[in-house]
Amino acid sequence: MFTLVIGGSASGKSDYAERHVLSLKGDGPRIYIAAMEPFGEEAQARIARHHAMRRDRGFETIECYRNIGDVCLPEKSKVLLEDLGNLTANELFGADLPQADAYGNLNTEHIAADLSDRIAAGIERLLTKCSHLTIVTNEVFSGGKEYEGETLTYLRVLAALNRKLAARADLVVEVVCGLPEILKSTETGR
Amino acid sequence: MIFVTGPLFAGKQEYIMEALGWDDAQFEASAVRDVQDLAAELNTEQLRALADTLAEKKVVIATEVGGGVVPIDPAQRQSREAAGRLACLLAERADTVIRVCCGLPRFLKGGETMMENRGAIKQTESDKAEQER
Repeated sequence: MFTLVIGGSASGKSDYAERHVLSLKGDGPRIYIAAMEPFGEEAQARIARHHAMRRDRGFETIECYRNIGDVCLPEKSKVLLEDLGNLTANELFGADLPQADAYGNLNTEHIAADLSDRIAAGIERLLTKCSHLTIVTNEVFSGGKEYEGETLTYLRVLAALNRKLAARADLVVEVVCGLPEILKSTETGR
Repeated sequence: MIFVTGPLFAGKQEYIMEALGWDDAQFEASAVRDVQDLAAELNTEQLRALADTLAEKKVVIATEVGGGVVPIDPAQRQSREAAGRLACLLAERADTVIRVCCGLPRFLKGGETMMENRGAIKQTESDKAEQER
């Protein structure tokens, strides 16, 4: 089963996603894949605290910042990947991407399409390695259209991934104020 | 008129074309997109007139732009405000209002006949897949 959870910052999407994974049946281990790269002592301390917190809730944490398809998982895992916004940023800003086409022009649409295909293919591989996958992603697209350069590319990649994964998912949930709204559920035929 | 709104790059046009079974030419002829950009410098009266004109189209698409921090620049602030008000006027005039998120529709108003159309389209697709098998 593949679930996509989307929401704005501090919308309660992580908490919802965690509870969703806890509610899943089956005896495989719960794995949390953390995509946020720890920069600095403060981030490291925060991450250590989160690890402990999730261990109490029965999640083992694996760090994976890019190339998500390569991650090694125990059999029949119930995986929670958080979050797609960080994974996309790591792939986009940490990688050696072509920045211009053959004529020397920046082509953000082309770069975005390539990268979103590559990340989606990685997620497709991840799906073959676990019994349940839940991905938390970010709603950052309602604050206007005045973006350019790398930010615009980033938004294009993340939006393309959101659309692709939503089409692929069995369950798509938008979380607002901690409350879930089901956008798609193959179970109920919505 | 069907009013389609939703965040940037959410797949609004793609969704409505698929739902109605439209090609590019039909979209070109009967739809208008990015109408939030038309609102920028208009006053209340002008916004109403614009909404009335747009309501004659079959499909009107707007991108939600009011979700971020209020801009410091007065012109940007005004255009964002106008975009939001235009969206409300269009929703009033529309038979169907759909919010698209991640390419998935949510019907905020009406949509019964559209859902029937969509059902019909989906049916044809699955029939085709069945035959190929």
